[in-house]
Amino acid sequence: MKLLVPLAVLAACAAQAQMLKIPPSFDKLADKAEEVADVTLDANMLGMASKFLSDKDPDDKAAKKVVGGIKGVFVRSYKFAHEGEYSDADVELLRVQLRGPGWSCIVNVRSKKNRENAQVCFYTENGKPAGMAIVATEPKELTIVTIAGAIDPEHLGALEGQFGIPKIDLDSKPKKQDQKDD
Amino acid sequence: MSRLEDELRNALRREEPPEGFAARVLARAAATPEPRRAGAWTRVTRWFRAPVFARAAMACALCLAVVLGVHYEQRQQLERVRGEAAKRQLLLALRVTGSSLRAVHDKVHELSAGYSDAQ
Repeated sequence: MKLLVPLAVLAACAAQAQMLKIPPSFDKLADKAEEVADVTLDANMLGMASKFLSDKDPDDKAAKKVVGGIKGVFVRSYKFAHEGEYSDADVELLRVQLRGPGWSCIVNVRSKKNRENAQVCFYTENGKPAGMAIVATEPKELTIVTIAGAIDPEHLGALEGQFGIPKIDLDSKPKKQDQKDD
Repeated sequence: MSRLEDELRNALRREEPPEGFAARVLARAAATPEPRRAGAWTRVTRWFRAPVFARAAMACALCLAVVLGVHYEQRQQLERVRGEAAKRQLLLALRVTGSSLRAVHDKVHELSAGYSDAQ
């Protein structure tokens, strides 16, 4: 029984370790940014939040389905007034972590012309999904999202059409720019 | 004087009890139930049954109930505020996640469309 406590602590540390480590320089970015979204929700907070999610509101309903499987959500989003407020070196510190063991990036978009980059990566532990990360950069915008926990495709499916997440039709042909779906 | 002495001697003379007196006394003593000693609880409640203590105890209980009720309500309210804040944070996080995924989705489509057009 006495062994259970240190084991639980180790398990908690391991769960934390899988999350992206945000470089300390990011704290200074908040001062420079015009708009900042900073969300850190651990399992307790998610549990508390889920109690207040209604079954009637579609957004709440979708969120409730997602919260069931995840252990933590971390979001940092900065919108700057001018270009060059953040350095590529800061973002590179994140990308290095995403190239580490356990991570596999399923989407990697790089546009030299628009200087827009985006990565969607999944973290697996013993072959099972254990987390997800999105790193999206634009000249005046930087967004990092980390979701810890089992990301079930069904959970992502539940988000489709909610919170601005597009409904993805895998059978459809790529659409042209003027045919973007809402 | 001697008359008084005689009367006293007569009044205080030793007299034998009637036949079976001792046995009757013992029998009645055995038949009478022994008065029960009050238990600890009875003694405590008896103490509180006194009008002053009863009112004081009732006032204390009422105060305690009010304090506990207010404390419980405050805790509930605090938990409600925290929960609502956590919910707002969660919905914000999901909105940011959603818009990021939408942006990635749009970029992938844009690139795919450009690639298809080039072919």
